[in-house]
Amino acid sequence: MDVASSSDPVSDRTAPDPSGPPRTGRRGLLARTGPGRATSLPTITATVAASAAVVVCLALSAWLAVAVLRQIDGLSDSKSDNLQWSLSQAQVEFDRFRLALEQARHDPAAVTELRQTFNIFYARVSIVERGNVFRSMAGDPAFVGPRAEVRAFLDDNVDLFDGPDEELLAAVPDLIPRAEAVGEDVRAFSLAALQAFARLSDERRASVLRLLGWLAAVLMATIVALGMLAVSHFRLFRLAERRADEVETAGVRMRTIVQTSPHAIVVTDDVGRIREFNPAAERILGNDRAEALKRDIVDLLVPPSERARARLGPFAFLSEHRRPARGERNFEIDLQDNAGRRFAAELAIDRASADRPIYVAHIRDISRRKRAEEELMQARDQALAGERAKSEFLAVMSHEMRTPLNGLLGTIQLLNDHRMTERQAGLLARMKGSGELLLGLVNDVLDLAKYEAGMMKADRKPFSLERLMQGVVDTAAPMARSNGNALDWSWTGPAPTHALGDARRLRQVLLNLVGNAIKFTRNGSVELEAEYINATEVEFRVIDTGIGIAEADLERIFHDFETLDSSYAREAGGTGLGLGISRRLMRLMGGEIGAESGPGEGSLFWVRLPLEPVEARPGAGQTRDGAAGCEDKRLLDVLLVEDNEANRFIVREMLALEGHRVVEAENGRDGVETAALRRFDVIVMDVSMPVMDGTEATRRIRAGNQASCDVPILALTAHALPEELARFREAGMTACMSKPIDRDLLLQTLQELARGDLPDDTLDAGPSDTGADRLPRLPLLDEALLSVFLSRVPQDQAERLMARFLDETEAEVLALAEAGLAPADLGALAHRCAGSCGTYGAEAMRAALKRIVAGVKLDSPPDEAELAALVPLWRDTRAAITARLRDRMAEA
Amino acid sequence: MRCLRSLAGATIGALLAALPALADELPVPDGPVILTVSGEIAKANVGDTVQMDLEMLRALGAREIETTTIWTEDMQSFVGVSLSTLMEAVGAAPVTIHATAINDYAVDIPHEDWSSGGPMLAYYRNGGPMKVRDKGPLWVVYPFDEDPMYRSEVIYSRSIWQLDRIIVGD
Repeated sequence: MDVASSSDPVSDRTAPDPSGPPRTGRRGLLARTGPGRATSLPTITATVAASAAVVVCLALSAWLAVAVLRQIDGLSDSKSDNLQWSLSQAQVEFDRFRLALEQARHDPAAVTELRQTFNIFYARVSIVERGNVFRSMAGDPAFVGPRAEVRAFLDDNVDLFDGPDEELLAAVPDLIPRAEAVGEDVRAFSLAALQAFARLSDERRASVLRLLGWLAAVLMATIVALGMLAVSHFRLFRLAERRADEVETAGVRMRTIVQTSPHAIVVTDDVGRIREFNPAAERILGNDRAEALKRDIVDLLVPPSERARARLGPFAFLSEHRRPARGERNFEIDLQDNAGRRFAAELAIDRASADRPIYVAHIRDISRRKRAEEELMQARDQALAGERAKSEFLAVMSHEMRTPLNGLLGTIQLLNDHRMTERQAGLLARMKGSGELLLGLVNDVLDLAKYEAGMMKADRKPFSLERLMQGVVDTAAPMARSNGNALDWSWTGPAPTHALGDARRLRQVLLNLVGNAIKFTRNGSVELEAEYINATEVEFRVIDTGIGIAEADLERIFHDFETLDSSYAREAGGTGLGLGISRRLMRLMGGEIGAESGPGEGSLFWVRLPLEPVEARPGAGQTRDGAAGCEDKRLLDVLLVEDNEANRFIVREMLALEGHRVVEAENGRDGVETAALRRFDVIVMDVSMPVMDGTEATRRIRAGNQASCDVPILALTAHALPEELARFREAGMTACMSKPIDRDLLLQTLQELARGDLPDDTLDAGPSDTGADRLPRLPLLDEALLSVFLSRVPQDQAERLMARFLDETEAEVLALAEAGLAPADLGALAHRCAGSCGTYGAEAMRAALKRIVAGVKLDSPPDEAELAALVPLWRDTRAAITARLRDRMAEA
Repeated sequence: MRCLRSLAGATIGALLAALPALADELPVPDGPVILTVSGEIAKANVGDTVQMDLEMLRALGAREIETTTIWTEDMQSFVGVSLSTLMEAVGAAPVTIHATAINDYAVDIPHEDWSSGGPMLAYYRNGGPMKVRDKGPLWVVYPFDEDPMYRSEVIYSRSIWQLDRIIVGD
């Protein structure tokens, strides 16, 4: 990032850096991993073997050398003097002795000479006998015999020679022949000794030769072993050379990898001092390699304020001189480059254990990625929020649309009560049909939207299966009748009375299926069957004898807005959403839906879903206790008294969808009669009805001592003013609810009433509050409308018109407030006044007047207080308009 | 008495060695002559030779060598006079001496050998004088056990027994 400030670090690095550590050092750091050792093993084995052989040979040589030395020692220590000399001397000295004998026979003076020669010979023989050579021949008979003879001669005569001369001389003649004989022995003995000596010499020579032979052999072996050693050493040398080459290659490769890595690679020694710093590190961190070397990695990378924490945290292993644990090897951290820029980085660090351990850190600048991640996250959040907003909008809109629609339908019904021409009645009927279709569509869309927004959750409450099915059949019965179809339901197999599940949604699905079946069947039959296919799963089957569906279309019909034959569907009044919604609801409840059919064969629609059977809960409504009871929705038996067919339909639908059983009555009198027949859980009573109105009917129900005389009665009214509320209560009504009917409020209120709770505000606070809560309080003026008026109309004209409007309206409002007018006049006046208020954007005034108009129309003329309230409202409105006009003039 | 005589002899020998003026005059041996030294010698007592008996040799001082020899069994104890002492006593020139035995065996002993103090002229073996039969009366012995260099053929050949004549020089 900061390349401009540093002096072109990338091109600097391509050449070897003279200021860096020596190449070998760098190589040593980064290229410790060499090739495998397997190749060198035989060579090393051979070397070891050769060395062992050499050692053995050397030991043998040493041993032989000792032996040879001993031999040499023996040779140098001459064990005898010259044997041949001794032997020949013995001969000579014996001859001399014999000569002396001869001489002494004639010359007694030679006796001394005789003695001398004897002694000399004696000494010689002793020498010969005692010498080493002769001792070794002790067992040789060729030697022993003659020697014994000689010895015997000497020993026999030694006393003679030591004796007096006379005796010796006298013995001479005897000695001469003996000496003759001994002479032979001396000769034999000499010859034997010579032979023995020769043999001994030979033996010794042979022994020396043998020893030398051994020595030569061992020397040879030594030389061979040395040769082998030399060869294996040579091979080791070659191996080492090759390995050095490989290490060099690996080093070069590793260096290239490190140099070209796009990630910063920082290598430190055992204590964190930087030893290697690759070009990417220079680029990312903005430090020159030369200045980074020897510095502490934490000091270099981490911003000063973070260092202490970094040393104790992610870099703790450095001070502890250990390998980072698995979880410590990768982490993200904020780093700082040389220029002070902080950036998010991803670090991968580990220790290479060697004799001098090093730490290798890969550093990646992930700030861009982080930013992208954040942007993506934001985009996703926005998209999700948008999606959610859309779904919510759809849900809210659908819901909101139903309210005016109900009103519309109600109004159409009201119109029906008036006398009309036949043509008008026809138009009204079509209008009503369209309205109901629209209501169905809106309901479907609401369900769809709720499902898609994930706002829908399946209930899991006990309900009566029997009542559910009966309810479905009851609801669909009128339509079946109008199509000429027979409709019935049945159980196959044992039927538990109650099950755990979402009764309302199941009912919706079944109603949809039954409704479809009825729609596509004329003058046939529709059957609703139910069966437990295992302990907890129920299959419902809707079987009709209708037109059927081609097999190819069986899947398609579950798609949204799918109608097989639009003309027919239109005729049948389908929206195309029903089955799609049913499928979603089944999915929501953990079940499935399907169909079997063929053209002309009728259809079978089935749903399977888990519905765990439970014990029937006797008097479920009375089990309410504490807060849990609020959740406890009891299925109610409701009497609906309503003259307006549309409203009746609406309310019935609302209740039936929840699984409540609804019995309808068309007017007050009907209602009183029905209420007398059986006891209902609750009665819903419209107020204004033909024949007998709601208040009167209520009074009669309460007065009579019949079945439902004391059940809660909920009043439905389009307009509920405080005095009316009092009147309703007086008549015996339990609660009141304003039209249009809010389904949830209705359901909740009914539950409360059935439980015996009196909703605390239904009668007292009145429905106007409910309505006020739903609608935002209207502004005094419709600024937009007023602005348009003021900008379009020329100023003088506008002022004139405005003045007239203010004057006229003032008079009219005062007239209204007088409260002396007949209702018809009051309505007409209020209507005209509301029209002019609308033109000039007096919105709050218009709404108030409209209410009066409606009240007059609905036979409940406004009271004095309401009329009187118009005056202050008008004052405020007038003041606001005047102020607005002044502003406008000031601008001009 | 005998002790005194030997003491006197030793004293005389010492005096003779110490006084060059008296050197030419050596006592004439009383006992049987066992050694005759001739040749290049400064002293003489009989003619131009020095003749010596056992007493005269003993008077030159005694030395003992304990050693084995290749001609005998067991350890031998020799007592005698160093050849160098003897040669000094007769005023021998520093030359080779020629030693001859009764049996006419003869050997040359170079000056560096006899003056080294190694060889000794033994007159006693194992505590007594040696007969001719036992290689006496004089035997040149070396301390064979003391040094391997004395256990060579040359030294063995110089170990002359039954010695009776020494000629100094040729």
